[in-house]
Amino acid sequence: MTTLDQPALGEPGGYAPEPDLGTPPVASQADATVTIDGRQVTVPAGTSVMRAAAVAGIDVPKLCATDSLKAFGSCRMCLVEVDGARGTPASCTTPCADGMVVSTQTEQVQRLRRNVMELYLSDHPADCQGCARGSCEMQAMAVTVGAVEARYGNGRDHLAESSYDASNPYFDYDPAACIVCSRCVRACGEVQGTFALTVEGRGFDSRITPGGTDFLSSECVSCGACVQACPTSALQEKSLIELGMPTRVVDTTCAYCGVGCSFRAEVQGTGEDTQVVRMMPAKTGGANEGHSCVKGRFAYGYTNHPDRQLHPMVRDSIDDEWRVVSWEEAVAKAADGFSAIQRDHGVGAIGGISSSRCTNEEVYVVQKMVRAAFGNNNVDTCARVCHSPTGYGLNQTFGTSAGTQDFKSVEQADVVLLIGANPTDAHPVFASRLKRRLRQGAQIVVADPRRIDLVHGPHVEAAAHLPVLPGSNVAFVNAMAHTVVTEGLHDEAFLRERCENVDSYLAFIARPENSPEATEEVTGIPAEQLRAAARLYAEAPNAAIYYGLGVTEHSQGSTMVMGMANLAMITGNIGREGVGVNPLRGQNNVQGSCDMGSFPHELPGYRHISRPEVRAIYEDLWGRTLDPEPGLRIPNMFDSALAGTFRGLYVQGEDIAQSDPNTQHVEAALRSMDLVVVQDLFLNETARFAHVFLPGTSFLEKDGTFTNAERRINRVRPALPPRQGKDEWQITCDIAAAMGFPMPYAGAHEIMDEIAATTPTFAGVSFARLDAEGSMQWPVTDAAPHGTPTMHVGEFVRGKGNLVETVYVPTTERTNRRFPLVLTTGRILSQYNVGAQTRRTANQTWHPEDILEIHPADAHVRGISTGDLVELSSRVGSTTLRAEVSERMPAGVVYTTFHHPVTGANVVTTENSDWATNCPEYKVTAVEVGVANARGLTDAEAAARDEREPAGRS
Amino acid sequence: MGNDIARQLAHLDEEEAVTRIVAHLDRFWDPRMRRTLQALAAAGDDTLDPRLAAAARRL
Amino acid sequence: MSTPTSTPASPEAGPDRSALVRAVAEHHRDQRGPLLPVLHEVLAEFGYVDAADVPVIADVLNLSAAEVHGVVSFYHDVRTTPPPTHVVALCRAEACQAVGAESLYAAAQERAASGEMGDTEVQQVFCLGNCALGPSGTVDGRLLGRLDAARLTELTAGWR
Ligand code: SF4
Ligand code: SF4
Ligand code: FES
Ligand code: FES
Repeated sequence: MTTLDQPALGEPGGYAPEPDLGTPPVASQADATVTIDGRQVTVPAGTSVMRAAAVAGIDVPKLCATDSLKAFGSCRMCLVEVDGARGTPASCTTPCADGMVVSTQTEQVQRLRRNVMELYLSDHPADCQGCARGSCEMQAMAVTVGAVEARYGNGRDHLAESSYDASNPYFDYDPAACIVCSRCVRACGEVQGTFALTVEGRGFDSRITPGGTDFLSSECVSCGACVQACPTSALQEKSLIELGMPTRVVDTTCAYCGVGCSFRAEVQGTGEDTQVVRMMPAKTGGANEGHSCVKGRFAYGYTNHPDRQLHPMVRDSIDDEWRVVSWEEAVAKAADGFSAIQRDHGVGAIGGISSSRCTNEEVYVVQKMVRAAFGNNNVDTCARVCHSPTGYGLNQTFGTSAGTQDFKSVEQADVVLLIGANPTDAHPVFASRLKRRLRQGAQIVVADPRRIDLVHGPHVEAAAHLPVLPGSNVAFVNAMAHTVVTEGLHDEAFLRERCENVDSYLAFIARPENSPEATEEVTGIPAEQLRAAARLYAEAPNAAIYYGLGVTEHSQGSTMVMGMANLAMITGNIGREGVGVNPLRGQNNVQGSCDMGSFPHELPGYRHISRPEVRAIYEDLWGRTLDPEPGLRIPNMFDSALAGTFRGLYVQGEDIAQSDPNTQHVEAALRSMDLVVVQDLFLNETARFAHVFLPGTSFLEKDGTFTNAERRINRVRPALPPRQGKDEWQITCDIAAAMGFPMPYAGAHEIMDEIAATTPTFAGVSFARLDAEGSMQWPVTDAAPHGTPTMHVGEFVRGKGNLVETVYVPTTERTNRRFPLVLTTGRILSQYNVGAQTRRTANQTWHPEDILEIHPADAHVRGISTGDLVELSSRVGSTTLRAEVSERMPAGVVYTTFHHPVTGANVVTTENSDWATNCPEYKVTAVEVGVANARGLTDAEAAARDEREPAGRS
Repeated sequence: MGNDIARQLAHLDEEEAVTRIVAHLDRFWDPRMRRTLQALAAAGDDTLDPRLAAAARRL
Repeated sequence: MSTPTSTPASPEAGPDRSALVRAVAEHHRDQRGPLLPVLHEVLAEFGYVDAADVPVIADVLNLSAAEVHGVVSFYHDVRTTPPPTHVVALCRAEACQAVGAESLYAAAQERAASGEMGDTEVQQVFCLGNCALGPSGTVDGRLLGRLDAARLTELTAGWR
């Protein structure tokens, strides 16, 4: 545990907002040196006088400027005098020219500022004290410029009668305090890219409105950028209104998605009494640069939800009641139980599952416990069920199991090919970056069965939407590559210099069966449309591929990943900024949990368990002999459990009973085990089958690191001590110790030191270095001491890029007369994965239940209308949920999310999986949909009662 | 599952496919699963893809 | 996070209207600065821009509904309610004020409020360039001078 009562690193104690330099940085080769109030400062040419002044340590008063937004020049607070220039220009909109001499505090500008401020104050609630939220820049500015009284009649605000809007669950809008600086309007457009706010009316009557309605029913996605940008308390977090100003700041990392945004946890109190006042995205955060989404900024309430478990519990059988026990007793029961199983059923009869939501350090000790204390390799991670094909595919082709770029790279992309991903919902902060790039003129091709928001929306119009039929991705990507090669658009020089298997691949892909015309029927994409998209991609100066679970969760997920890698290689779109092949990872630490050796066949750093020299590193350090053979994967564990050979499981922070496919099979497997140990925040679905429950910690209590989809290692720092009294890595170490294998660490930093000492790609990583650098992207080595934003520059990690012949083999999951529709699954913005966290926050407001989207034609023939309760059935099971008739889906395809256990969407998904990695095929299930009332189900209660009834196999 | 691998490699000639299947099973499969597969192949289970069966015999 | 529902659309804003508005927007979408021409054409067609038109126009023009709403609210001459059957616009500028425009305006408002003039909107204008003949005003677009309450009652008799 680090010392909590000391200020967090980088904070000299007490609360201060992040510095605001007024206008955004300017990238420029040339420099300009200017003199401001007698101080010389050198900045990139084109930098505003305001920013240059701030850099020189001089704060020019401002209201309409903030450094996340383009200068606007409307408030006239920032006036300065420039030698030799007439008048008093606004410093936010005046660029620095070399040799300029600026005065920011002449009497004239001070008087002007005071006048302006008094004008503002005359139309602003007089009662600063009564408002007193403490975060008002306006109040501070008034004091600075010495305008304490309004000479123009005091503080009767003409907007006072306008309605106070408290509709959003996380922030309020009080028009009376608004000064119409339009920072919020610009933040919503420029930063978030939603454009939900506007100035209504004109002149003195103008006011800010979310489109003439209230926030909740508007287009607002509740990202909070406007609240962050607001200089007054007009837009204010409800939590701050309730709790008052924070007193200290802890720099940490969001625990929701693979974007991995950096946050300042702004808190009050110390130790156990710490309260989070608000989460403020950090401008210094490499992944997010000061932006966030509704989940990261607002949805942290689950961390002290009443459902949170704070005590270890045990029971003898899953039909018994839980019994609260001491940590010692719970740990002993787990350890003794595991040892007993091994005695009776062999060393291989137990295993562990690590979580992509836990820190690298917590994951590392799980695999260490399994390999060293359990003495087998039966360790797997929930990443199995989402991105394992990414690891396999990119490793085969490029030599690393990770994406090639940082997020910032998209700012250099000219064409983006987005496949099987829905970033505006699943990776919102990346989506905001992408949308900004699109507004600058880049083009996007969306290959996804659903008409997602990036196909068409405010200031977004895709060059093409290719609704590739579920299951036909490989045929699609091959047709793209076929077009490129047969039309001579490939980069011959790149291929010859950087790749291998070139001739055989070119011959393969040129075969007629891979042509757009030949694949048209399976992909559902007209050949001409596909050819146009391929040309666009191939001819762009920089073309980048981004993809999500719509690629990986297929029986050919690994093949598809290799197919995309091929496409990037043949067009030379790899090894520089603006290009690459980039997975959008689901959970926050999917990348990290894979890096940490969570797969049964790999030690940390993706080194195969069969390599004696790698095993030797760990054997020497740990003093145990490691099993050289791969262990069981999650699906194999379940199969073996049903066969009686696998009887004990340790599950860290994962709800496998809800998130894994074919729920019935998983539940039967769990039920058949002698000992299931669950470590989680909540009594989740899996805990229904557990014998030992070990309460976990939320990210606000963790000390460690997360690695995001850019390979960026970010620090997670505790804002408060573990609420249940123990760090999660410590729990794991205690079990290992009780089984006779002590794993002593003085703190999480020592675990990272061990990772760095044993894993070449992490060689230069330590908490101290991370604290100094902010974050680093692995590999961090002697050759790249600050990390590696772009990979495969000049040479692939494996040497030559490997072109793999990606033959299209259709899935065995087929539609038929009984199940004529294809079900595909996804997620939505306000909810996260199985929803254990988000369901326990006000994010429920937006997505209280899972919805089945169905095309109007399919709905019509079945007599379904929006709002109907429908039964969704596949050959393995059925569930009931509400339908929404939607043109977003192509005919023949239905769509749902899987955030709510009551729906159990995975009750109907099958156990089909990726051929190479066993990643389940969530994205293709043959189903039928019918109005549920027909079977006498009339309301949601009935649905909840019946939801798990399995249908007989056919 | 093994059949899925064989299906993916169906385009290769017999020898190459079998070699690749063997390599994949070695790399990624738990020995117990390989033994189960070997037993099935030895028993002449006809649900196995012939190439998978060939690979199993070569493990 | 939902599509804005805003104020309930007027009854005449049915599906036909929405299709027509969409067609109008599509007609202009490829020109530079298409929003104003679209609004003008919708005004010409229906006399006002309905709340329900806003998301339709936004969708076609790749704008947010809020942006369209902002522009609609900016221009006084973009009506957002169905135009009245009759419009009485009375001058309230200096010269007319001096000859009793204020009491006329008050009288007109009163009469309108009482329902005596049916569906009539009383508007104010500032100088119609008819100062010599004040109080001036227009009644359904016809410029008139020397107006008084009695004359107004006469002119609007029978309006329902
Ligand atoms: S919360 Fe985000 S989406 Fe909503 S109005 Fe503010 S900036 Fe726009
Ligand atoms: S984008 Fe992802 S990482 Fe960033 S704030 Fe939202 S959930 Fe957190
Ligand atoms: S801060 Fe420069 S004009 Fe407002
Ligand atoms: S003042 Fe009324 S018409 Fe000029």
